[in-house]
Order: sequence, then C-alpha cells, then structure tokens
Amino acid sequence: MAAPGTVAKLGKLDLANLNGGQKLAVKYFTVALILFGAQILFGLLAGIQYLKPDFLFGVMDFSVNRMVHINAMVVWLLFGFIGSVYWLLEDEAGIPVVGLGLGNVIFWIFTLAVAVVVVVYLLIQVGPGNHSTRWLIIEGREYIEAPRWADIGIVVCVLAFFYNVAATFTKGRYTGVGGVLVLDLIALFGLYLAGMFYTPNISIDQYWWWWVIHLWVEATWEVLVGCLMAYGLMQTLGVRRKIVETWLYIEVALMFGSGILGLGHHYFWIGTPEYWFTIGGFFSALEPIPLVAMVVHSVFDAGAHKMKNTNHPALGWIIVHAFGNFFGAGVWGFMHTLPQINLYTHGTQWTASHGHLAFFGAYVTIVIAFFYLGLQKWRGNVWMSGGLIGAWKWKWAMVLLNVGMIGMVMAMLISGYEQSQIERAIEGSTWSGYFIAQSHPWFVQGNWWRQVFGCVFATGFVLLVWDLLTIGRDEKRPAIAHGELATA
Amino acid sequence: MIEPVALKDFFLTFFSAAMVIMAGALYALLFAYSRVRARPRLMPLAYAAYICLVASVLVLATVANLFATGFWTIIVALMLVGYLLAPHAIWHLCVGTHAHEHADEESRSFRQQS
Repeated sequence: MAAPGTVAKLGKLDLANLNGGQKLAVKYFTVALILFGAQILFGLLAGIQYLKPDFLFGVMDFSVNRMVHINAMVVWLLFGFIGSVYWLLEDEAGIPVVGLGLGNVIFWIFTLAVAVVVVVYLLIQVGPGNHSTRWLIIEGREYIEAPRWADIGIVVCVLAFFYNVAATFTKGRYTGVGGVLVLDLIALFGLYLAGMFYTPNISIDQYWWWWVIHLWVEATWEVLVGCLMAYGLMQTLGVRRKIVETWLYIEVALMFGSGILGLGHHYFWIGTPEYWFTIGGFFSALEPIPLVAMVVHSVFDAGAHKMKNTNHPALGWIIVHAFGNFFGAGVWGFMHTLPQINLYTHGTQWTASHGHLAFFGAYVTIVIAFFYLGLQKWRGNVWMSGGLIGAWKWKWAMVLLNVGMIGMVMAMLISGYEQSQIERAIEGSTWSGYFIAQSHPWFVQGNWWRQVFGCVFATGFVLLVWDLLTIGRDEKRPAIAHGELATA
Repeated sequence: MIEPVALKDFFLTFFSAAMVIMAGALYALLFAYSRVRARPRLMPLAYAAYICLVASVLVLATVANLFATGFWTIIVALMLVGYLLAPHAIWHLCVGTHAHEHADEESRSFRQQS
C-alpha cells in the first residue's frame, strides 16, 4: 500500500504500492519466471537430443536435460504458488503477514538451495549410486531427484511458509479461502514426507512415490489453485466472496471425492494387488465430473457478470486455465486412463502429451494470471482493461504460448500413438520393439514437430517476459473500481 | 479382471473416450446456456449431445471389453447416470449460490425506479 497521504504514481513500478506479503511475493514471482525460462531452455535441449542423440553427449546428457526440465517446472510452479499465496495473504487475513522476516529469510535459503541443486546436477552427471550420492548429489527417483538434504530443506521451507500463512489467518480473520489454504498446506508438506524414505523394494517405493507425485499434483495443488482462482475471480470480475467460497468448498469436495483414489490409475502396473484396477478405473471415470461442473458454473458466471473485469490479461489467462484444465486433465487424461488401454500407453509419449497439456492448463496459466494481477498493483493499480496501451504483447504472448503448447501436445500424441501400437501392442514391449518404434517415421516426425512448436512456445515466453516488464508502463488511467463491476 | 483392448480397436478407444468428455462438456455447456439465456429451444440440442455421449460410452465399453464383467458394466451405468444428472445438480447449486446476488440486483433496480 502507498503510505497514507501519498498518491501512488500510476504506471510506475513502486514497491510502496505493495504490502509486506506482496513485496515478498514479487521476489517469488521473479525467481519463478527465471526458472520457467530454464524449464523451456532445457526442454528445447532435450528435444534436440531426441532428433540428434549425439548432441551434447557427455557434456549435458539427455537424462540431465530432461531431469532439469521437469524439476525446474515443479520448482517454478511451487515458487509461483507460494508467491501467489503471499500476494493474497494480507488482503484475505486483513492484517500484515505474521513472521514476514522469517518468510524473507526462507525465500533466500530456498532460492540458494535450488541454485546449488541445479549446479550440482549439471557438474556431477555421472557417479556411483550409493548413500552419499542420495544424500548429496541426486536421489535418483524420477521427478523428485533432489538430494535428501534438499528434501529436508523443502519441508523446512514449506513449514515456515505454513507458519506465515496459518499464524496470519489465526491472528487476523479466517476467510473460507484462508481456511481451505491452511488445511491444504498441511497436506502439501505432509505428503512430501511420503517420498523421503528409502526402501529397496521397487513396488513399495513406487507405491509411496506416487503419493508425492499424484496427491501433490491432483489433490493439494488443485485445491491450492482453487483458492487462487477464487481470489482471482473476486479481484478481476468482482464476484462475491460468498459465491466463490461456496464453489471452492464444492470443488474441494468433488476433487477429493474423485482425485484421491484416482491415485489408483498409477498403481496399475507397479506390482500392487489387482483390486487397484477396480479402484483406479472407478475413480478415474469420476475424475471428469468436477470439470463438467466447472463448465456449467463458468457459463452461469459469464452470464451473471457479463465479463466486465479489472484486468484483461489476468482474466484471459484464467479463461485459458479453465479450457486447459478441461482438455489437458479431462480429455487427454480420460483417453488413456482405463487399464484396458493404459496397458499400452503408460509411460509412452502419450503420457508426456497428457502431462504437458495438463500442467500447462491447470497450473502455468493460473500463475501467469497472478503475475499480471501483481504487476497491476505494483504499478499503482493501473488500468488493465479494454484499450490497454501495448495490449498486443500480452495477446500475442498468450497466442504463441498456447499454439506452441497445443502443437507440442499433438506432436507427442502422434508419437505416443505409434509407440503404444508398435512398441507395446505389436512388439510386446521388447527391447527390439522399443528401437523399431523409435525409428518409425511417425515417431521421428512427431519429434520434429514437437521441436518446431517448442520454439514457438519459447518465442511466446520471450514476449511474455517483455510484456511483464513493460505492461501498464505508459498507462495513466486507474483500474476499474470493484464497485463499478458490481453494477455492471 | 481386465481384458486389454484389441490392436484394431486402438483408435476407436481413444476417440470414443475423448468423445465421452467432449460430448459431456457440450451437454453441460448447452444445458447451462439454454437455462442462463432462457432459450429452451437449445435444450433439445443439449440432450442430443447427451445421446452422443451415450453412444460414445457404449462404443468405449464395447471396444474396451467393459461389458465382459459385472463391475465394469456397473461403472458404465454409473457414468451414464452421473453425466445425465451432474449438470442438473450443478445448475441448482449455481442458482442457490447466486440467489443473494439476484436479490440484491432486484432491490437495487427497485430503488433506482422509486
């Protein structure tokens, strides 16, 4: 907030426009954006290695590029979520963040730890698989490769973050969004513990590993995004708190009702008992229901609010979120979730296709929407509605990022279809079948198209960064007041 | 417990599964739009989308061998009933959660008129 008696200069980036939590949020957003860029860079390098396997061999191996690509995504989204929660915390609780100093210290520790982990990944690419490697270099478990010291660090950081959030709501006021957030953060660090012990039995290891991967992503992250979406809709469309909070509760109930035991679809082929076919199949069939509910509610809200809003880029990305979540998680997920077909698609480029669209649609979009909400206030709550100066940049960034993502997803879909047919169904998942499928024209062409659209996506990212650095700079109009939205 | 999909049915499986979600969303979209805009002539189209969904579920169930066991047959039946009723239930929730907002709008327009 600007100091009492002073008038924030519209269009100028000024930290005085922000409260304490929001100043910390800006730091998280900045690191998130840098890591987003790293994710794209390492994805492009890994994509080239699909086409030219000798590229950077021995210098930056495919296994390392792929690992950094995925780990960067997990960490930048986590930074984006934490930043978004700090952003809304004081608005929701009605008081300054409790323990903000600790929050700032934890931010620097977390950022430094991430940097060290990535540098170690890059400098020590080959070595023995023993306990010291697991503790100091890499854990070796897909998606959560961070060494054990970093695992412990992540839990400590999330605990400190939890303290900031819970203490602030407890001292201030507990809104519906606040209550759901606090409960969700307990699950966020609690579930991570499930991936932090060692067992030599691969089935047991995978059993717990999926608790982190599936339940983080399809339960705790989804609920967190539900909270962010609720706040975002109140800010951009002026939707009443009572409505968004009621819907947040409904969403949480639907999500937990179908999402938690939807975990079963990851237990099909890891050596767990057969009853997981039943549980996984049943709850996977239920998982699209929250998405159908979302369609009905979106149409209702669009009709009720006539889409008049305070921040076009943020609302634009919230709309992309709704579509992306529906197609990425719903359509792409259900196409291959039943065990009768998942037997052939599991772990092929099909999965990568689903993963790319679902993560982009469900999570990347909402964090980008918060970047825009943040910049609007950082520039003195400047106008970001119709007729925004330089609006072509955010629109083209959105187009390029979406076209790039859809192109990559379709390319991987074609490659995955070929893999599931030839490698899995015809060749029976044999060693030779793997190579026959890898050299098939459909697979190779799919990889080329993925690379082309990856470059389109990267171009969109560059434009996004440029837009984030400049949007609202030349605007001198204040944002639409929420009172005006209510009378729309 | 499960009988894998035959190779010749791969495309039909993927396509029908995708159509289940797409037709389900189209049904929900047309249903909600018809109600929110008070255009009852769109409602038959909504139910036509639901019939597409039924056809897609039946094709998926056939090619994925879901009718081979009682359990999977029950899942197919639950999916059909669930998709049919979900938009109705969500609509009622929408009306309920927005009821105060509408009451406020009515009192505001009443104040402006008087």
